[in-house]
Amino acid sequence: MTEIIQKLDANAEPIVSAPFFLRGELVEGNDIVQKSRDLGVTFATPNIPYDKAIPKRTEVPPLLNVPVSEIIDFLVETGQRLVAPDNEYVHECFDRMASTHILPRSVFETVGKHAVAYLDKRILEAEVEQSFRDPGALDGWVPKEDFTGRKSFVRAYAPRLIHVLPGNSPGVAVKSIAQGALVKAVNLFKMSSADPFYTVAILRTMAQIDPEHPIVKSMSAVYWRGGDAAVENVLYRPQYFDKIVAWGGGDAINNVIKYLGPGFQLVSFDPKTSISMVGREALASEEIMEETASRCAADLMMLNQEACAASRYQFVEGPQDLVDKWCAKFQRNIAERAAASGDVRPLSGDLRDEVEALMMMDDEYGTWGKADGKGLVIRSEEPVDFHPINKIGNVVRVDSLDDAVKYVNVATQTIGFYPSERMADYRDRLGAGGAQRVCPLGEAGPSTVGNPWDGMYPLHRFVNWMVNEDGMGE
Amino acid sequence: MTSALETLLGYAQDPQRFNYTAAELRDLQVQALNERFQDRKDKIRLLRHRAEEAGIEEITSVEDMVPLLFPHTAYKSYPESFLMEEKWDRLTKWLGTVSPYPIEGVDLEGITDIDDWIARLAAKGYYISCSSGTTGKSAMLIASQKDMDWSKIDTVQVFSWGSGVKPEANRYMVGCAPVATVPKNQTIAEAQKAAFSHPELGRWNYPVPPITVGSLTKMVVMRKKMADGTASPQEIADFEATSADRQKVLDDAIELTAQHIIENRDKLLMVSGLWSGLYAVAKAVRDKGYSAKDFNPDNCIYVGGGLKRAQLPADYKEFVHETFNIRPEQDFQNYSMQELNSGMPKCREGNRYHVPPWIVPMILDKEGDALVPYDVNGGEIEGRAAFFDLSLDGRWGGVISGDRISLDYSPCACGNKGPSVRDNIARYADLEGDDKIGCAGTIDAYVRGVA
Repeated sequence: MTEIIQKLDANAEPIVSAPFFLRGELVEGNDIVQKSRDLGVTFATPNIPYDKAIPKRTEVPPLLNVPVSEIIDFLVETGQRLVAPDNEYVHECFDRMASTHILPRSVFETVGKHAVAYLDKRILEAEVEQSFRDPGALDGWVPKEDFTGRKSFVRAYAPRLIHVLPGNSPGVAVKSIAQGALVKAVNLFKMSSADPFYTVAILRTMAQIDPEHPIVKSMSAVYWRGGDAAVENVLYRPQYFDKIVAWGGGDAINNVIKYLGPGFQLVSFDPKTSISMVGREALASEEIMEETASRCAADLMMLNQEACAASRYQFVEGPQDLVDKWCAKFQRNIAERAAASGDVRPLSGDLRDEVEALMMMDDEYGTWGKADGKGLVIRSEEPVDFHPINKIGNVVRVDSLDDAVKYVNVATQTIGFYPSERMADYRDRLGAGGAQRVCPLGEAGPSTVGNPWDGMYPLHRFVNWMVNEDGMGE
Repeated sequence: MTSALETLLGYAQDPQRFNYTAAELRDLQVQALNERFQDRKDKIRLLRHRAEEAGIEEITSVEDMVPLLFPHTAYKSYPESFLMEEKWDRLTKWLGTVSPYPIEGVDLEGITDIDDWIARLAAKGYYISCSSGTTGKSAMLIASQKDMDWSKIDTVQVFSWGSGVKPEANRYMVGCAPVATVPKNQTIAEAQKAAFSHPELGRWNYPVPPITVGSLTKMVVMRKKMADGTASPQEIADFEATSADRQKVLDDAIELTAQHIIENRDKLLMVSGLWSGLYAVAKAVRDKGYSAKDFNPDNCIYVGGGLKRAQLPADYKEFVHETFNIRPEQDFQNYSMQELNSGMPKCREGNRYHVPPWIVPMILDKEGDALVPYDVNGGEIEGRAAFFDLSLDGRWGGVISGDRISLDYSPCACGNKGPSVRDNIARYADLEGDDKIGCAGTIDAYVRGVA
């Protein structure tokens, strides 16, 4: 819930200020008092200067004719500046974020900095090269001739994008800015209430490198409460933007759907759940149990189980006594990683109730750990009803991994698999169920550079393909 | 010697039961809370678990009760698969974790559906009522025969106190809303009928098929099958068709009820329901050209709960009253919830809901973790409503609700000195928008419809 209170009271408690960034210009102001969704902390923002935030369609996008290689160089330099110890914008950002984000500072700061690794020359080049059959279409009009001799030029034209950023991972801001720049887009970023700061910090860092750079002139970052019709009715128009890039499900998407129509399209990064499939080979010895439990804990604890690729359900193949042994090791590994992360959030009331009810039925459900947010494993014969979050693993014992395939559905993103040699036997069936990615156990985090995500090549989906027909070439 | 608990429950017969200040009741209430706690802490597994976690061995203040309150979700925390796969033995076992009495002697062989399961339990004195079954799992609230008996008396007393209508069995009762067919509702309906209904006139039941627990849980099962990907297209088509048929029955019921009321407008009426249903029927009556002048000036009304998310015009109350000719002083509203076994009637002079001595009200912060500072000697506080209903026998009496209320310990304008609740009750869920966006999510985001 975000309450909008006009005319900030001068005598009110100190409120964190969240400035906007508008195509190179920093806009500060405390016109609107907002509230972060997760923690209920108030922060203040300016009113949105619409005309400044939305460039006219009569202007050619600033980045259109800037070579991708130059854009990449600028992004790489941005990355170096972001991790520089003396970057005041980043420090200030993390100071402010500490009061609005659900994760502890050590976690989101590490994630924010780790995300900067994406701003690497080879990574960015690979993203472009793998997303487009001919990356030259980004920089200019690629000539074509069909088999009848008819000539034309095709261009991957710079789109006008609104990015609705998720609040669970500050790293998405880095990636969204980079991808928006790679496709030369005009970009408006809607920051989340959990993190109305990092995007602006990145853009300010860019402005410091070159305040007149076309990348800087292509970026705006503002905040409004998701679903606020007064704002969205203005912004969500095909006259102003081509596509909206949104994350999540439920209200985040429902808020957008009503505005879709000819000329205004949705590119959605759907809400995802990830799982692990652990073959009986994992239970063959104490050493292998320990290793696989550790790998699985690594997959579960991605972003302390806030990431979409974080493992929620672990289908373990074998008899209950051995599976239970594995569960104990799994829980210990989760708890160790949780303790190391410094994240001590308690479970929400509803989640704790669900967990405790299962604990009361201990002849059907094995439980290791407590319902205290410090690492818990529940073993059951079927997936539990609730969504495991805040460091909870739900181990579903199966006689055979074949029995686990039926639990793969359209919400499944990543499947961490052990042993790796068996992945090839399963991936066709996993794809049929709706899964998007299968990887070795313990490797849900890293991914091959340039690969599709959420079932698509995002850059390819962002651009507008434009054709200049050139006749029969007489 | 009479125990504190017995004393407080004895106030049920006292015409002045709302006139005791919170301050004079407090010590007695704390003693009664401890009596309930000592009796129950080793009988309700979930309560024992909570008490051990919180390190509570004795209740010496209302604050001690906070970590022991059960939210609504505690009664819907059974695994969905128990319902899906009709594992009645396991569902019964889960029920045992929230029941103070061992669930014994129930025949679990050959159960045909959940309604049959509930009937078998009722036959042995375990009464299951449900709520909030439309968008998720139903909460299953277990009650004892004692609770049913208490409820019968309380429902008549609160209505009589709040409306001034005496139980003279002289009215024609007209229901204007569907009522779930659960033991508690049936018990209340029987008690009200016996007290207020003219023996020769009986009662008009809203003409819709029985809303049983089974019909509610069918939706949960269908939703789960869709999420699992196991629902066939024909099953979905059949379900959609059933939903459409059901909607038509509901629409027809409004017309039938309106027509029936008009045909009985010469009688002394007691109309009941929720505001949305009452408004729909009233509008239908108006559309047929009838209003206050056509109805008996001594008619009365029984409304359970607030708007419950219905979208009605601002003047909905006046509209209903002026349709059925309800005098302002015979307007009745009650504040309660399925989790409680007692009602809090609204008084006529002060327009506030009065808390009886055997209900211990607690105002928590929004998160439900701690008491909001309060003074039993006076003053109003606002926050999340929590209660301990000392009359509850078949389950734990401590509940945390989803309501935001304003509770005042000062005397009400009507003169009664007990604590009372302002008529601005809201659900926290209705107060908040949703700005929480994340890329992690569940299959529920992919299931459209089945609301």
